[in-house]
Amino acid sequence: MHLEQFSYDNKIVRNFGIATIIWGIVGMSIGLLVALQLIFPELNFMTQYTTFGRVRPVHTNAVIFAFVGNAIFMGAYYSLQRVLKTRMFSDVLSKIHFWGWQLIIVASAITLLLGYTTSHEYAEMEWPIDVAITIIWVVFGVNMFGTIIKRRERHMYVAVWFYIATFVTVAVLHIVNSIQLPVSFWKSFYVYSGVQDALVQWWYGHNAVAFFLTTPFLGMMYYYLPKMANRPVYSYKLSILHFWSLIFIYIWAGPHHLLYSSMPSWVQSLGVVFSVMLIAPSWGGMINGLMTLRGAWDKVRVEPVLKFMVVALTCYGMATFEGPMLSLKQVNAIAHFTDWIVAHVHIGALGWNGFMTFAILYWLLPRIYKTELYSKKLANYPLLDWYTRDFVLCHPNVLGCSGSGVDVERVYSGRCVEISKLLVYYFGNHSYAYDESTWR
Amino acid sequence: MNEMINGTEAVAEVSQWKIGAVNLYSDILIVTLIVVMITLLIAAVMVNKAMKSILKVTMPEVVKQEAEEKKRKAEARKAGWKALWNKIMGIRPIEQEKDLITDHDYDGIKELDNPVPIWFNALFYGTICFGFIYLLVYHVFGIGMNQDQEYEHEMAMAEKARQEYLAQAANLVDENTVEFNEALAASGKAIFTANCAACHGANGEGGIGPNLTDRYWLHGGEIKDIFKTVKYGVPDKGMVPWEQTLTPAQIAEVSSYIITLRDTNPANAKAAQGEEVEKYESEKVEE
Repeated sequence: MHLEQFSYDNKIVRNFGIATIIWGIVGMSIGLLVALQLIFPELNFMTQYTTFGRVRPVHTNAVIFAFVGNAIFMGAYYSLQRVLKTRMFSDVLSKIHFWGWQLIIVASAITLLLGYTTSHEYAEMEWPIDVAITIIWVVFGVNMFGTIIKRRERHMYVAVWFYIATFVTVAVLHIVNSIQLPVSFWKSFYVYSGVQDALVQWWYGHNAVAFFLTTPFLGMMYYYLPKMANRPVYSYKLSILHFWSLIFIYIWAGPHHLLYSSMPSWVQSLGVVFSVMLIAPSWGGMINGLMTLRGAWDKVRVEPVLKFMVVALTCYGMATFEGPMLSLKQVNAIAHFTDWIVAHVHIGALGWNGFMTFAILYWLLPRIYKTELYSKKLANYPLLDWYTRDFVLCHPNVLGCSGSGVDVERVYSGRCVEISKLLVYYFGNHSYAYDESTWR
Repeated sequence: MNEMINGTEAVAEVSQWKIGAVNLYSDILIVTLIVVMITLLIAAVMVNKAMKSILKVTMPEVVKQEAEEKKRKAEARKAGWKALWNKIMGIRPIEQEKDLITDHDYDGIKELDNPVPIWFNALFYGTICFGFIYLLVYHVFGIGMNQDQEYEHEMAMAEKARQEYLAQAANLVDENTVEFNEALAASGKAIFTANCAACHGANGEGGIGPNLTDRYWLHGGEIKDIFKTVKYGVPDKGMVPWEQTLTPAQIAEVSSYIITLRDTNPANAKAAQGEEVEKYESEKVEE
């Protein structure tokens, strides 16, 4: 009998992991700077390059595309190889992907600070960078589909469906929303104008949340959570149902970013109802994850990685309930242009993406380096506060949003979102008694 | 007459608050019945307790049996609820898990074939129904307002509030703040005809009251003076105070009208009374 031998490419996983940590520190530090600028204007440093307007997009893009982006590639490159039982299609493509992506990040940060922007949220980069993103994304796609083609498993695991959805949709979104006419190397004009431009932009913007911050992470959840807990996935049926309903419904929800605008009334309503219909498909992912932990809750009490996963999943559940509520125009009329929206984004990007990234890093790095976690106690430390109080503190706006509260909120929440976390994180630890029985 | 009215009102008020009937005997009957009922209830409970204690002594095995039966039923009910709960939640007992495992195996990850929870489906279909109803409400039946209609609605509300405020603001005038306003004179004329003409003449030429068209004034001829005279009256001389009858806005209107009567020289003018005003304030301004 012929025994086939092959090895997984762990080096690329390690590289993406290191990049995730570095860009995480960079992106969140810039976020702190941006938050501090709201209270201490002198932190704009009196130069055009460091003003709030230029630094903020660096923060959002760094966190989404650098921190979360690298985390996606780390998580996908590790799990793809294993659930398909093969090495990545091409090591060269992996390397091009890695270094290309890091170059794009650096180029984006520099050009944004220099003031080159298309002024489309989450798509601020000018056309040369857009082209580079397209090329690198295609490299990732070729590498992934190559791997899928040469797989040794007959069926594709649910995680792979989510990765495929991610690749296909992000490609479509990015290309359609980046169609611009260049007038010079660092200046271009969008082909769409007026309300069409707005609609395309938020179709893109909303589905960046869906297919960059949600589907790849659901895919990773389906691989890492059963591995961490050593439990079978709760329901195969549910995974099919929520996968297809999620990707079908998400695509339509973008117009809820444009309520009370010059966009036709019926398009706005369509965005609202598709947003409300998203609750169940989103929660399908959450409950499939949480129910996978059934019979393993005793492990959750001691394993920091599982705690991080539980926080991530509950944050996901909250964010995907809050989102549909915010998309109702009666709620939106109150919340729009307040820091409630900023808080909502942070529940998603930090609570869901961030915490799952931390969990995967904690689980992966010891395996890659064949070592133990430096200190489990340290890994447990931030959790006590984050997942209990943060939920409350992330939403000072919920309390402060009614009427007269808005002014207080304007002053406070900009910093609340970032600073209150840090304060509680460092100083508030001992005043809260953690009740372990909560998670049993 | 007044006392009678007050008397009936008092009765009506009392009967509103009194629980008892008007008849004293009915009240006694009701109270007695309540006391009897409560006594009966207590007696019944006592008897029941006594019977039970007797039963415990005479037939202990029956009591025990009954208690066991009760316990069994309670357990069965509890299990039924749990089964229903599990069905809604889509949870199968964890011991049955091995029957649910599919033949999938991806890098050691197994998948269970649990059903989709009923509550999940209810939520999903519920939100889809919400979507249809939402669209019908806003775009078919027209019950809900779209943003243009909302805008118009709110503008109409604001306009109404503005009118209310202005109407109220008109009533905020008094003898210190009132100003002559020719636009008010037209409505002032109607008020004058209805209330003032009887004494001051249809054209202000005077009658029982002084002439209002000449340059002689007993209590001042400027708008603020006239407003004050109309409002508080001059009871000694027969001029009625009007502040109870006319609103401040109406007094301002009629005062403005009276200003327009200056030097109109109507027929049958009454002889001059009071001091002559050589120049009104408005005439001084013109210089």
